[in-house]
Amino acid sequence: MTYVRVAVFSLLFVLLLGSLLIAFPQSAEALETESVTATRNEDGGTDIIGGKPTRLSWEGRVGNNEKVMQIVINFPEGCELADDAYLFLQEVIMDDPMHPRPDNAVKHEYELTQESLIINFTDGLRPGNKVIIQVYGFQFPAITADYYITGTYVDDKGLSHILKEYSRPVSVIGGTALENFLVWLSERDWVKAWNSNAFCNSFLNPVRAVASVPTLFGGWLISVALVALGFPLAIPVGLGISFLRMSKLWILRFLSSIYVNVIRGTPLFLQIYIAFLGLPLFISGMDNFTTGFIVLALNSSAYLAEIFRAGIQSIHKGQFEAASSLGMNGIKTMFFVIIPQTVRRVIPTMTSEFILLFKDTSLLAAVGVFEMMMFAKIQSNISANITPYVVAAGFYLLVTLPLTRVISVFEKKLAATDGKEAPPEDKKKKKPETKRVGLFKTTVPAAVNQDTGNG
Amino acid sequence: MSKFKKLVAVTAVLVLALSMALVGCSGGKKLIKDGVLVVGSDCDYPPFIILDGDKPVGFEMDLMQAIADDLGYELEYLPPQNFDTLLTTLAGGAKMDIAVSSLTITEDRAKSVDFCKPYFDSNQACVVRGDSPYTKAKDLEGKVVGAQSGTTGEAWANEHLEGITMKPFNQTSEGLMALQAGEIEALFFDAPIAEYHLATNYPTMKIAEVIPTGEQYGFAVRKGNKDLLEEINASLDRLIADGTYEKIFKKYFPNLEPSVN
Repeated sequence: MTYVRVAVFSLLFVLLLGSLLIAFPQSAEALETESVTATRNEDGGTDIIGGKPTRLSWEGRVGNNEKVMQIVINFPEGCELADDAYLFLQEVIMDDPMHPRPDNAVKHEYELTQESLIINFTDGLRPGNKVIIQVYGFQFPAITADYYITGTYVDDKGLSHILKEYSRPVSVIGGTALENFLVWLSERDWVKAWNSNAFCNSFLNPVRAVASVPTLFGGWLISVALVALGFPLAIPVGLGISFLRMSKLWILRFLSSIYVNVIRGTPLFLQIYIAFLGLPLFISGMDNFTTGFIVLALNSSAYLAEIFRAGIQSIHKGQFEAASSLGMNGIKTMFFVIIPQTVRRVIPTMTSEFILLFKDTSLLAAVGVFEMMMFAKIQSNISANITPYVVAAGFYLLVTLPLTRVISVFEKKLAATDGKEAPPEDKKKKKPETKRVGLFKTTVPAAVNQDTGNG
Repeated sequence: MSKFKKLVAVTAVLVLALSMALVGCSGGKKLIKDGVLVVGSDCDYPPFIILDGDKPVGFEMDLMQAIADDLGYELEYLPPQNFDTLLTTLAGGAKMDIAVSSLTITEDRAKSVDFCKPYFDSNQACVVRGDSPYTKAKDLEGKVVGAQSGTTGEAWANEHLEGITMKPFNQTSEGLMALQAGEIEALFFDAPIAEYHLATNYPTMKIAEVIPTGEQYGFAVRKGNKDLLEEINASLDRLIADGTYEKIFKKYFPNLEPSVN
């Protein structure tokens, strides 16, 4: 009888104890893993690369009724430590949750190896506090995989507990070809010699230059896309406005001249700020890229309108008269006689407007559009080095230099053909025609004026 | 051929002269101008340092002035510049002696500059619009968030939150405007500055979570400028000992206890 009773009691006791043990880790009574992360260490990228030093961070919260005397963190197999690897430990006192205070002087001893990190706390981590454990110079294996960090801890009663696994692994990718090349490059003697000079190092560090090329190329494509979408959009808008500027109705002339003068009279940078901070209040769901190229297009349309107007008005009056004598109406004259002649004349000016607009895409970096300038900025920040900007300059020149060449070729051709075709009467003209072009009264030459100064 | 050689020679001489001149500039001088401490800042961190007209004011400004008085230096403030360019300029060595901009001491930054002893405890705040459903930083995963470019807030969000789109801003105040406009769902920046902004200019916003990052602010000097570093540290110690530090602290943070000593 008593036997049975003892057995039942002990069974109950074991069950109770077991349920307690199961219940414990779920409550806030135990040291809880809050996050396990590693710092992005890919050059110019957002990934964590294996076989390359990163910073491993383990953050946890001590339970409310315990002190933590020891923490053991086990690293996955194949991890390595750089020669200068070290531990940074911080206890954050959480008495006032709105104003946590760090304690950098936690008394502790630690042992850091490739397999594990063992930290013994002399006085223990206090209840409710946060603990931040960071291993600098930590290297994950150079194999693409998800890694879980496990561990145990000992409380002030001497009981050992298992650290709850953080729900999310650290996703590591194996070394890329670029990464391997960068390591190889940084070990060359000539690179070391070059970088030992402060000037050479900060303006053209070969390693930083190569590292920034892939990201900057991505940004360059976005810059090109911005102008490639914005400029074609600006052409019809600009043409429309140039017609309005030459309209017979004063109200249309008035409104279009307000548009042109306001846009040309204010900096693009300011227009970008107004558009980005103001438009989302009225139109939701427009992404930065779309807003970006629309602002560029609107800005450029005002300049293009003036270029087109000047181009159209530079066509000799005789052309209009000849067209009407052939029985063409105004619209037909415009599209079949005037515009085809204008196109040739405005192409050089349009190209320089395109160059200006392309360079101006860089202004969008200030409002968070991820174009080349933005990437160059990020690259420069992470390395405290100016090289990425210098590389970005090269990328801008990649577009602008050939186009500048195109302009000069066009202008030469234009000069040559105009010289050949110029009718003799033109040379005998008593006085040059004076027209209003842009903001100034100017004499309109055969080629259009170059008034596109929004750089 | 001789033309080519001449060209090579001229280029070599030019490059050498230029690099020597520039190396000469960044030599180990304690101060760029004798007796003047040239301070660089972003000036966008109320109540730490903010422009009042064209004059910087705030806790850090007062503390800096006290240090300069203590050491017998004049203070000269450079025009405000973007936060993410501060350390590059300081490390460049030709313009700035000390960076004062609510700079968190981090191991990574310590690779390019040296930090004086900490003078303020800080944390990160996840700031959201008052009507938004987010109650902790983790709720922002997969969302569009913002931070000032180059700050610890940006780095924290990038490391700890999965699937976010991070929009870096030149200034925290720009980020706040973008948050108000609904362009981003949350802005990550220093908690004391967030508390100030929310109590003054942005009462419609709220702090979803104070993230205990255990950060501390420190003044940064050029790497290896040990003379200046030690002078500033000694001066800070004196100001803490004689109560000047606490007086300045209480002027700006009457409800907090100075925890740096």
